[in-house]
Amino acid sequence: MSMGDLKQQTKPAGTGIGDVVRAVGRTSWPYLLLLPTVALLFAFTLYPLAQGLWMSLFRRGLVVVPQIPESTPVFVGLDNYLQLIGDKDFTVALIRTVVFVIIAVPIQLAAALGLALLLAPQSRFNAIIRTIVFFPSMISGLIIGVIWAWLFARNSGLVNYALSLINIPAVPWLEQDQMAQIAVVVAWVWGSAGFNMMILIAGLTAIPKDLYEAAAIDGTSRWRTFTRITLPLLEPSIVVVVVLGVIGAFQVYEIIVSLTTGGPGRATVFLIQNIYETAFKKPNQAGVAAAQSGVLFVILMLLTIVQLRVARRRS
Amino acid sequence: MTPTRSFGRIAATALVLVVFILPPLWLLASALKPQAEIFQWPPTLWPEHFTFENFEKTMSRANFGLYFLNSAIVSVTSACLSVAMSVMAGYALSKFRFKGDTLFFLLIMSALMVPLQIVLIPVFLVLRDLGLLNTLWGLIIAPAATPTGVFLMRQYITGIPDHLIEAARIEGTPEWRILLRIIVPLALPAIGTLLAFNLVWRWNDYLWPFLIVTKQEQWTVQLAIANSIGRFSINWPRLLSMTVLSILPMFVMFVALQKTLMNGLMAGATKE
Repeated sequence: MSMGDLKQQTKPAGTGIGDVVRAVGRTSWPYLLLLPTVALLFAFTLYPLAQGLWMSLFRRGLVVVPQIPESTPVFVGLDNYLQLIGDKDFTVALIRTVVFVIIAVPIQLAAALGLALLLAPQSRFNAIIRTIVFFPSMISGLIIGVIWAWLFARNSGLVNYALSLINIPAVPWLEQDQMAQIAVVVAWVWGSAGFNMMILIAGLTAIPKDLYEAAAIDGTSRWRTFTRITLPLLEPSIVVVVVLGVIGAFQVYEIIVSLTTGGPGRATVFLIQNIYETAFKKPNQAGVAAAQSGVLFVILMLLTIVQLRVARRRS
Repeated sequence: MTPTRSFGRIAATALVLVVFILPPLWLLASALKPQAEIFQWPPTLWPEHFTFENFEKTMSRANFGLYFLNSAIVSVTSACLSVAMSVMAGYALSKFRFKGDTLFFLLIMSALMVPLQIVLIPVFLVLRDLGLLNTLWGLIIAPAATPTGVFLMRQYITGIPDHLIEAARIEGTPEWRILLRIIVPLALPAIGTLLAFNLVWRWNDYLWPFLIVTKQEQWTVQLAIANSIGRFSINWPRLLSMTVLSILPMFVMFVALQKTLMNGLMAGATKE
């Protein structure tokens, strides 16, 4: 029975004033229940989104101060967006972020897939290792950055110590541009591998066992079984990992704060940090920062649409 | 897949163990070393001179106890508020039909597309206009509405039989009592799970406190850690011990609720 029928049945023919109050109360009740959630999401997500897109059409300061004429909003149309094309800090950060996505996401997928294949078979031992691998998902990007900054420390870090055991001289992980970028990828993949592994294990366990039995009876090689059965049937889970990974990688920031603070120089400044610095550290550039956020929003929205499409195809 | 324990498999598993156990263990070991041993080369894998000195200094000189308390107050309060709001909204969206129900659902879910990262600037202005900057209330209220929470509660409450609600209505039970006496007790397993997630999310929040708090006495654990990282010099003994302390509550929770958290966090991420 649906709730609509139910309500009609239980609503007696209103006679007393109490019944009227109750009937009004009942119709407004679901709205009251939704009010706190909707109000907060409106105040801290949806309104700011609209406000941000609106701001991107103005030249203005972060905080409007009457004494500073440059901070008062002036409508400039799409000027801020056009300006971004020649904005070196922005274009460099954008390209760097895209490169990060292109490099880090496949590595992340490969790591998660390897872990999933290794640890999917049910056993107590594997369950314990899965738990250990998953643990980094419980801590913040900031903390993961600290852990890896300490591992990558040039003269006291465990990574360089391990390398010294096989006679490789100390690598300046956080002092040299490219090494620092590699360090960010390593820390990011390490932090998210366990989570993605679990998504893939869920996908692996859903593959019917008899397919593997049939393949074994036919004498199919393990590699062929992997490419012809496992990979195609795992595809939906793989797509989830990739899409979530791409969305996450475009927003990489927290891990940078503690691992490299954007350095050396600006070698590991990605989009979010650049937006933040434009808004809070450059005078009267809030509109430009809002335009940068607008660009990122469009990218993320397109990715989310892809994600929804995929989810629909799955179900 | 047959679980053949071939040599390759054992070697790979050992490598995985090293890669995932060593980093946190190395952090813990370093935090328990005296200053000189922390920077010693070659490094000692486990402290030769075991000491709590770094932790004592972090608590006494760096005022870390206060930041820990701030984090605890904010996480617990915000998590409870968030769960209450999610139960209410999830109940409304699963057991009522009303004008705009689908619209409200889509509106709430659409917020998933807008991470805080891309609305930093306008959110900062909203917080300022509402007078929430530099208040713990700001840290509690601002992140409390979570589409994921609403979605999970909606899914769970849908499974509660309608006739229980119907019977209560016929008896004339007020609506608020139906929510508190029927829905909440029956949804307790989901409420517990969601509470655990929220505690993890809020404890790990960095961007919200970063936007809201500038006064040092209101720092949270994450903020204290971020602020102790200078671009040119880092007080490692202090940072290492702070980091260990910040992980501790999450570690305890993970050991206690491991299955719930592993399966649930994933469900939240993949079913959205």
